[in-house]
Amino acid sequence: MSESDLVIGLDVGSTTVKAVVVEPDSLNVVWHDYQRHHTQQPEKTLELLEAILAAFPQQPADRWRIFLTGSGSGPLVEPTGGKFVQEVNAVTLAVERKHPDVMSVIELGGQDAKIIMFKEDANGGPKTALASMNDKCASGTGATIDKCMIKVGAEPGFATSLHFDDSKLHHVAAKCGVFAETDIVNLVKAGIPKAEVLNSLADAIVLQNLSVLTRGNTLKAKVLLLGGPNTYLPFLKECWQKRIPETWRDRGYDFPNDVPIDELIFVPDQSELYAAFGAAAYGLGEDATAGRFAGADRLREFIQNGRRSRLGEQAGPPLSTNGDETQAFIDAYRVPRFEPARFSPGQVVRAVIGLDGGSTSSKAVLVDEQGTILAKAYQLSKGNPIQDAKELVAALEEGVTSQGATLHCLGFGATGYAADVLDECVLADVNVVETVAHMISAVHYFGDVDVICDIGGQDIKVLFMKNGDIQNFKLSNSCSAGNGMLLQAMADQFGLPVTEYAETAFKAELAPKFSYGCAVFLDTDRVNFQKEGFQKEELLAGLAQVLPKNVWQYVVQIPRLASLGRKFVLQGGTQYNLAAVKAQVDYIKQRVPGAEVYVHPHTGEAGAIGAAMETLRRFERSGSSRFIGVSGLLALEYTTKNDEETVCHFCANECKRSFIDARRPDGSTSRYISGFSCEKGTVESKDAMLALVAERKKIAAAHPNLVEYEARRAFQHFYEPTPMPAHGSPLTDVRVERGLFRVKRRTITRPFQRSSDESWKRRRQMRIGMPRVLNMYSTAPFFRTYFEALGIPKQSVVFSEPTNEEMWVEGGKYGSVDPCFPSKSVQAHIHNLLFRKHDPEQGRGLTHIFFPILTHVPGFVKDTMDHASCPIVAGTPNVMKAAFTKEVDFFAQRGIEYVDPALSFAEPTLLMKRMFETFGPRLGVTEDESDHACRQGAAALEAFEADLQAKGLAILETVEHEDRIAILVLNRPYHADPGLNHGIPEEFQVLGYPILSIRSIPKDPKWLARFFAKDLADGRMKHPLELNHVWPENYSANSSQKVWAATFASRHPNVAVLDLSSFKCGHDAPTYGLVDTILQTSKTPAAALHDLDANKPGGSIKIRVRTYAHSLRLHQERLEDVSARRRELERAVDEKRLELLELKQAQLQAARRADPSLRREIEELGAKVRAYASPPLPAELPKNVVRLGKKQDGRVVPVDAPISAIPAE
Amino acid sequence: MTQSIEFEPPKKRLPLADLDVDAELRRFEAEESARLGLTERERWVEDMANLSFTRAQRSQVTLLVGGLTMAHDLFVEASLKHVGYSVLALDAPDNEALRLGKEFGNRGQCNPTYFTVGNLVKFLTHLRDTKGMSTRQIIEGYVFVTAGACGPCRFGMYVTEYRKALRDAGFEGFRVMLFKQQGGLSQATGEESGLELNPEFFLALVKALLAGDVLNALGYRIRPYELEAGATDRALEQSKRICYDALAHGKSILWALGRARRLLGAVAVDRTRPKPRVAIIGEFWAMTTEGDGNYQLQRFLEREGAEVDIQLVTAWLLYNIWEVSWDTENRAELRAEDGGRFGLDGLGEYGAARRKLMLWAADRALRVVFHTYAWCGGLYDYHLPDMKEVADAAMPHYDNDLRGGEGHMEVGKLILNVMKQKATMTLSVKPFGCMPSSSVSDGVQSLVTERFPGTIYCAVETSGDGAVNFYSRVQMYLFKARQAAEAEAQAALAANGLDAERLGAALDRHPRLRRALSRAPHSGACTTTDLIYQAAELERTTRAQRALGTAVRLARGTRKALLRAGKTLPWMVSLAAKATVELGEIARDEGPSALQKTKGRLLAVAFGLGSDARAAA
Repeated sequence: MSESDLVIGLDVGSTTVKAVVVEPDSLNVVWHDYQRHHTQQPEKTLELLEAILAAFPQQPADRWRIFLTGSGSGPLVEPTGGKFVQEVNAVTLAVERKHPDVMSVIELGGQDAKIIMFKEDANGGPKTALASMNDKCASGTGATIDKCMIKVGAEPGFATSLHFDDSKLHHVAAKCGVFAETDIVNLVKAGIPKAEVLNSLADAIVLQNLSVLTRGNTLKAKVLLLGGPNTYLPFLKECWQKRIPETWRDRGYDFPNDVPIDELIFVPDQSELYAAFGAAAYGLGEDATAGRFAGADRLREFIQNGRRSRLGEQAGPPLSTNGDETQAFIDAYRVPRFEPARFSPGQVVRAVIGLDGGSTSSKAVLVDEQGTILAKAYQLSKGNPIQDAKELVAALEEGVTSQGATLHCLGFGATGYAADVLDECVLADVNVVETVAHMISAVHYFGDVDVICDIGGQDIKVLFMKNGDIQNFKLSNSCSAGNGMLLQAMADQFGLPVTEYAETAFKAELAPKFSYGCAVFLDTDRVNFQKEGFQKEELLAGLAQVLPKNVWQYVVQIPRLASLGRKFVLQGGTQYNLAAVKAQVDYIKQRVPGAEVYVHPHTGEAGAIGAAMETLRRFERSGSSRFIGVSGLLALEYTTKNDEETVCHFCANECKRSFIDARRPDGSTSRYISGFSCEKGTVESKDAMLALVAERKKIAAAHPNLVEYEARRAFQHFYEPTPMPAHGSPLTDVRVERGLFRVKRRTITRPFQRSSDESWKRRRQMRIGMPRVLNMYSTAPFFRTYFEALGIPKQSVVFSEPTNEEMWVEGGKYGSVDPCFPSKSVQAHIHNLLFRKHDPEQGRGLTHIFFPILTHVPGFVKDTMDHASCPIVAGTPNVMKAAFTKEVDFFAQRGIEYVDPALSFAEPTLLMKRMFETFGPRLGVTEDESDHACRQGAAALEAFEADLQAKGLAILETVEHEDRIAILVLNRPYHADPGLNHGIPEEFQVLGYPILSIRSIPKDPKWLARFFAKDLADGRMKHPLELNHVWPENYSANSSQKVWAATFASRHPNVAVLDLSSFKCGHDAPTYGLVDTILQTSKTPAAALHDLDANKPGGSIKIRVRTYAHSLRLHQERLEDVSARRRELERAVDEKRLELLELKQAQLQAARRADPSLRREIEELGAKVRAYASPPLPAELPKNVVRLGKKQDGRVVPVDAPISAIPAE
Repeated sequence: MTQSIEFEPPKKRLPLADLDVDAELRRFEAEESARLGLTERERWVEDMANLSFTRAQRSQVTLLVGGLTMAHDLFVEASLKHVGYSVLALDAPDNEALRLGKEFGNRGQCNPTYFTVGNLVKFLTHLRDTKGMSTRQIIEGYVFVTAGACGPCRFGMYVTEYRKALRDAGFEGFRVMLFKQQGGLSQATGEESGLELNPEFFLALVKALLAGDVLNALGYRIRPYELEAGATDRALEQSKRICYDALAHGKSILWALGRARRLLGAVAVDRTRPKPRVAIIGEFWAMTTEGDGNYQLQRFLEREGAEVDIQLVTAWLLYNIWEVSWDTENRAELRAEDGGRFGLDGLGEYGAARRKLMLWAADRALRVVFHTYAWCGGLYDYHLPDMKEVADAAMPHYDNDLRGGEGHMEVGKLILNVMKQKATMTLSVKPFGCMPSSSVSDGVQSLVTERFPGTIYCAVETSGDGAVNFYSRVQMYLFKARQAAEAEAQAALAANGLDAERLGAALDRHPRLRRALSRAPHSGACTTTDLIYQAAELERTTRAQRALGTAVRLARGTRKALLRAGKTLPWMVSLAAKATVELGEIARDEGPSALQKTKGRLLAVAFGLGSDARAAA
């Protein structure tokens, strides 16, 4: 063996460093090692290189060659003299050398996931490799698994011996690490065993990669699994082995059935070394001068000096400029140390308990009747809320009894994730949503506060206050969650207790500039900065500095902080970290002149204190408590059940529920059910379910949900097209003659042309499938009627099912791009049409799948720049065509023609022409027939709109006269799909609010003029349906409608807003600020969920719904007050008028003049004024008026348009 | 409420007889409403959308421009200065601009929005905080002029972002003017404009854009092969100064480009080292900017050993012309003129023909002027894309009616790059979550790469952070591209019986091939391949043979043209006949003055007057 030119391959990843030494001729690996670097990449690399040099003492120092790969290798290239090799290229080479028969590689690393697919050249040329890497939003797979292991409390060795079991899987969103963590936390809270949680996570990761990272390609056998997670987690490997063959079967890929799965999909020996080996192999193909190892000294020098010298230019200022500033800040803001109350032996301590079951930790406080905090208890949440509560309450009681006193508990209140279960099991007196709890607590300590900012482990909540109550609020969404946790995780990574975070961060003399954003992006930045040589104190300082940006720029989105007020209260566990507080205070004070920023004195327990204060208030009012008592709680027995029996079978979602059965000491029992996605999951028996459905129907009838109605109605047959004119009947038409210079159009009358009877018969046999997606929500009545008018039976015009979880899991693996969920879900709908709706054996085969490119959709807003569709939505039909014809032409295979013409609803003549060009030859119809069908389609669309508007009018008139609130959902039409809106409108409907869709707002200018009177009078608007006075860039039809609807809501006192948008929605994003400003200015209550995606963020929805419900209740009260005052005003004005008229009459009499009309008027007005004292009985209610549950005083207004009863389902 | 009324003598009662009950009642109602707290709801109105910039203010106003490449921005500044405006080009947006854009913009924007909006805020903040100008001075003294919107994607809503960010950053009332792609220049809303859209202004812009394109294209051609690092950039800097001076002082730009040709021609190059040619396509801003907005992608690729083939702004203008032409053609024969942004409503009987002719003329004029500039600047044998060819290539996969961003162009260009061996690798760069590109084009491209095996196609998103990952992805594909370029060059050498040494010797015998501006005819995907074939051809043939060859080619070409003309003749005759008949009909339909009118219309068309001229450009 010649050691003259040994090659070192080095793979520096986000968590480990791997090194191999390779013999150049044989490619034998003669030395290798694999070490975790604990974020000390250069140091660990140096250590390995020194070990290599020591192992080969004969090798001349100047003959070593070194090639580096991996995300962390960049800065090490120059100090080692090595050459950088891109990691996918390295892995590709390694696989080509070691496994010529492998066709697919899946490598999951700490940050990156990569898939390499080898394609065989049909002409016998060499295989080409097609590689894809996860996009930014899906990075950190390995890191996510690591974090989730901690969250589930997996002991060492648990995960490495766990096997995959798909019998009990739960929903986990694996799109992004933060989403996944949120779901994992919820599963843990619901008491799901850790094995199931980890298996669910593995399954979600595998399905996510199969649906996105493969870019719609089939992973062909053999499949090689690489990377740490695949190597060390057998359950993950087994999950691949289960899911990949499923895709093979689905797609008809002919894989070798006789080969054991362990040979088809496998983890090779030394899988962790592949990239390092590949780097070395790559190097051998390079010029001999490339990658000459510069020796360990240069690297050592780099570690000691070189690294630091480069940092100054890209870093920002530190947290504090000097020690004095730090000390002054600490003195001013240090949270005073809490001294628990002292009790005398024999004392009876009368107090309430408040408990906050948070995402990462649970807290409880004991508060006496004067509102003094007597004791606190804190612990990291252990996964079961009842157990956590027992331990916390035991600790509180122990604090009292250990001093010889006894505790007399006056009541128990809970907030946070645990509140619902405690409400049920221990009969808590108060179950208050976190936001309101925090508000109560802050107001208790600081009185008239303007802004409360609470930063917990997972959530950020910012409450804007007015008159001591919540005026508005902003909550972090899935994309901005986990900030507090990140600070803690960062401290953990450096082996620091979180209590030392601030002390360390204040020492930094500079700080890297993190970009604000989600926790995954921040972690990626952290990896990069670390690689560049930033030290822990600097990283900690930088991360603290990014926190206010995340709060104010990412979550709150109000750059002018001063507009919110001057008095800010910071609370939540993160405020213990004074580095984070300093960053916040500096940020706020820079932007708000004269700002007062306070830190809550019990910052970590603010929620628990709020719950306690509310409990105290209730106790003071009622003097009683329903709480089972401290001893009752401590003696509570409970079991958690989560198995086949607890699965909910009441709908296709098949939710895997958990039952927590509690048995109280008095023998009574209760069951708390969690883990369901709809209300049906809250019951156990079929009868109970039927009763629940009946109850819901009743509520739905009383509080109509027009969003749901619109979504259903759009796809139903409700319009009977007028029969096709007879052949030869006279038709007025335009004849077009195009010459060189002009296009001449002449109106003519000619006979109507009908197609042959055979054609009509043939159409009776045709079946046309259309996906129930995107712009079809705006136009489906047109297309349905078009086909029906041409003789296709109504049952043969078929739509895919509304989006649901099952459909998505089954058909969501064909996409090659990762757009918003509404567009991404289309693949599942096409799949549904191809594999579910198309059933030729049963005589229900589809002949065509029609999915038009709709460049323009109908829009009601006047004088706009355009009525354009979103480009993604418009282009999706082409993307679907590519996805389903790429490897296998699924349409051809199933004998279906896919039809996707470009159509514009802004140009009716062009639309008619295109419809004929598309369907004339396919359906055998004449142009006259096609035109007739188009006109019928347009009439159906009009009828659809008219029906919705009539219903909307009824609701609006009724709520106005009852001083009630209707919720207007600001959404794009396709968000009416219950699978996309996650049933959020229903959550409000069951609270008793009727739901309006944008379409259901009456568009009659005369009716609208009342609300826009001032705008029309001052000339800002020329028409009530215009938008240019607030938004001139109104190109997008759907966004324009949303913004217009916001202006309508801002002018209608009884309309509150629920604003729904999809994650990544490029058309809605520019209007977020606009809609917010419009609604804020008019003080219209509004809640927004801007990041709807495939997963249903149950916890986040719940907290929003409940906080918003609180605001709506206040708004309703205000409405009632205003209404009463208006009545008072009306009466006062009438009385004043009467008085003035009488005065005038007296004057006329004095002048000996008479005015009969004046006398009449006085008589009428007099009667009216007298009636105020004794009002008449309410009139009998007219028919056809929507009754919306409770009524104020029986006043319901008849509406002009007849409305049919709104069906509940 | 009642009160006792004391009747007084008639004289004093007179004013009371004129008691205005309604006015009295209004006053009472207002007082009562205030007492009861019944105030009217406030409504929000966008006041920044109708801000005007009048001609009278012109002398006190500086126009801020930016958003293209550094050369373009500089030349636009110079050209508009010459037309009489005070102009300042903003620097290329950097990461600080991104940070400010994110702070003051809406969540969920694409990063061109953040970068460009942030860049303006950054400049204005600099004026205020560093230069000490008052906000009023800034608002009165500066106006930002930027490209307007095509509509469908977020780009169409940029101005909404500008307003939001400017307002939130404390510059409420700052004026942003849009130069729309179609329809000329107007303010964000409102028609009054302090900018005069006369031909002079228009020509000044075109000159600046074309000159910028030529210099940029030259730089990317020469730099990868320069022997002395930095020589190309030095020559380019000098050239830019010369062109700037010419544009600003109204001197001949052709003369300036000629001087640039001499400067750039003097750069020593070696084109025998095979380098993959990487065609950059994708979202317009992401592929055009030269700063942090795309991690200085072009320079990165060059550092990694690639030759970069950029898309010119001229190609974008040609695409705009094509769009209108395509839309007009598709609607010309409809039974009625539809409304909407694309409908031909109001165009009249002669409108479609006039517009088509205008667009054809605009396309041709743009190409002729570009090639003249290119020839003067030494950008030889540059092929502007044939928009119809691109559209036809894309149509089976990406409908030509789909708009937003680059529309079908990305797909069409990738197909042509592969089919015609125009580039070794195609790199599509777009902002994170770019609507038309990331979510539609890339979905279709996955089918294209399947249909054309061996395609090296890299789609990469820019998000403003995580440069390491961005570079890593590009490197992943560049590795394959380098191998492909190397293999192609080796195959070319082998096919021509050459090796590196003999190639060198051949170049020594034909030194003009070594010149920086020399351009070999297209033979393969990379420049070295072209060079090898050209050198081999020169080696194989004598001067006389080549002259003969040229003559033969010319003759063949002429023959082909004649044959085509022969075939076209009957068509021409029938066309003329048709025209005559139609003119006769027009005369019949419109009465005796019709021919006179038609002549007038034809003249109008020929001289390119009317609004369509601007629309086309």
